[in-house]
Amino acid sequence: MHTNPTMRTRKVAKRPALRADRLAIGLGKAVAVGAILVWSLFPIAFIAMSAFKPGQDIFAVPPKFVFTPTLQHYGKLWSDWGMFFDGLVNSTVITIGATILAITTSTSAGYVYSRYSSRFLNASVLFLIVVRLIPPIVVTLPLFPIINAMGLNDTHIVLIVLYATFFVSLGTVLMRTFIDQIPRELDEAAQIDGATRLVTLRRIIVPLAAPGILAVAVFVVVFAWNEFLFAFIFTATKAKTAPLVISEMIGSIDGVDWGVLFAASTIQLIPVLLFVVLMNRYLVAGLTAGATKG
Amino acid sequence: MKTIAQAVPFLAPVQILILSVIVIPSLYVVWLSLNASTFGQSPTFVGLDNYVRTLTDPAFLHALWNTVLIVVFAVHLELALGLAMALLFASGLPFRRILLVAVLAPYAVSEVIAVAMWRFLFDPDVGPVTIALASLGLPTLDWSFEPSHALVMIGLLTIWLHLPFTFIILYAARLAIPKDLYEAARIDGATAFDAFRRVTMPLLGPAIVVALLFRYIFAFRIFSEVWLMTQGGPARSTEVVAVYLYQEAFRFNAFGTAAATAWIMVVASLLLAAGYVFLLRKQVVGNAH
Repeated sequence: MHTNPTMRTRKVAKRPALRADRLAIGLGKAVAVGAILVWSLFPIAFIAMSAFKPGQDIFAVPPKFVFTPTLQHYGKLWSDWGMFFDGLVNSTVITIGATILAITTSTSAGYVYSRYSSRFLNASVLFLIVVRLIPPIVVTLPLFPIINAMGLNDTHIVLIVLYATFFVSLGTVLMRTFIDQIPRELDEAAQIDGATRLVTLRRIIVPLAAPGILAVAVFVVVFAWNEFLFAFIFTATKAKTAPLVISEMIGSIDGVDWGVLFAASTIQLIPVLLFVVLMNRYLVAGLTAGATKG
Repeated sequence: MKTIAQAVPFLAPVQILILSVIVIPSLYVVWLSLNASTFGQSPTFVGLDNYVRTLTDPAFLHALWNTVLIVVFAVHLELALGLAMALLFASGLPFRRILLVAVLAPYAVSEVIAVAMWRFLFDPDVGPVTIALASLGLPTLDWSFEPSHALVMIGLLTIWLHLPFTFIILYAARLAIPKDLYEAARIDGATAFDAFRRVTMPLLGPAIVVALLFRYIFAFRIFSEVWLMTQGGPARSTEVVAVYLYQEAFRFNAFGTAAATAWIMVVASLLLAAGYVFLLRKQVVGNAH
């Protein structure tokens, strides 16, 4: 083989071509990565930047990327849309409430599903998965009159319960997957030492299943902070969330004040964006486990 | 925990939440769907009349058609993009973790904010994207007047919001394929395309099915993007099934037809899922042979 002259010449001739190929591939990849970054980040960056542009600069053609930043839109947001800040408070209360409710309930259920199995338990896991197929808008129909009759319309508790419930099935399945990875010997040892199941759950399982808890938290926090449909149907004034107030800015009859809308959007978006960036590992772990197991 | 009785306190909170908020209300919707009812009027049993009325209502059929269009075009385009990105990431990129986080960013964005962004970027008069497209002599999206353009906008928006999900599922599955398989393929003289067709695609099959299933089901219930972008207008031309349901229930107070629509949505989701579980089973069995 090695002495075959035609082979050798072909190899030599191929080298520069290969290098050109590699260059072309590298260039193609760079273009693709650039396109992906523009697609993913440009809308976010553009809106966050525009929130600091003075007056008419927002509409400048071509768009201005160098400008003197101003807080005028934030000032106007504060004076004209005070309820946006009430909305932020409501969103915070509801997000924290829903996250705590979803995490505590799914961790304890996930623990049982991980450690014990019976026909009844297996059937109820399947039930959890099937429930996820029911579109949220379906339950608004019967819940609307019931919640009104109970006097719970426009309260935090309604949204806390709704947001948590729509994530406990995924949460439970995720927690089961994460708790499965904790050796059973640890909780058996604790129980021999006389720990009750609740103590075992709190002292042994919860600390070791922290990545799973964080993964569930990312899902619930992002959902509860951003949700529109339930907030739209079940709140009116007192419990209105930040996304709902922003939707009212979009639908404003006397024209959209883009600067103020961008200022509000930036304030709503930055905390949850930072949260997702910081928790990206748990989000990826949760998405992968949730999709394959749930 | 040898008996079910001991497990109950741990399971009860989750099951009570799901039963009281999702399952019992959904079953009550079945009863609602078999009755004619509105505010201040006691319901009367009408059998399947509401289903017949809904399924023959041109507005419902139009909404269903729009939903199917969004599901078919947006979800498959999203899958193609997600797959291409997963393969690009797997082929080796510098700063991979930072790029991954950048791709995840839209996951954090509320539908409300996303609609605000896109309404501005594509604003017919002042939108930077509209102006850029026009100056390049490319067609622009006249989404506030032209229903088909509005649907394209909604489709793009929904892809933007959910691409991170599809991408992560496929990327994780691609990383799980052992490197030896590609080495073996290369030694056997396979080209890059052969390796893609014979190694990557079959092994990504289950992940693709899962991503598609989730996205079909979630795209089918799309509400916020459409409601915030067009409210289903002009003249109900861009309604989707969930918006139709909302209008029937909360604007026309026709709870019977709204409930029938709701159950049509549930059954469609269950059928989709059943079809895919069947497909997945077949594929897993097929791979095992």
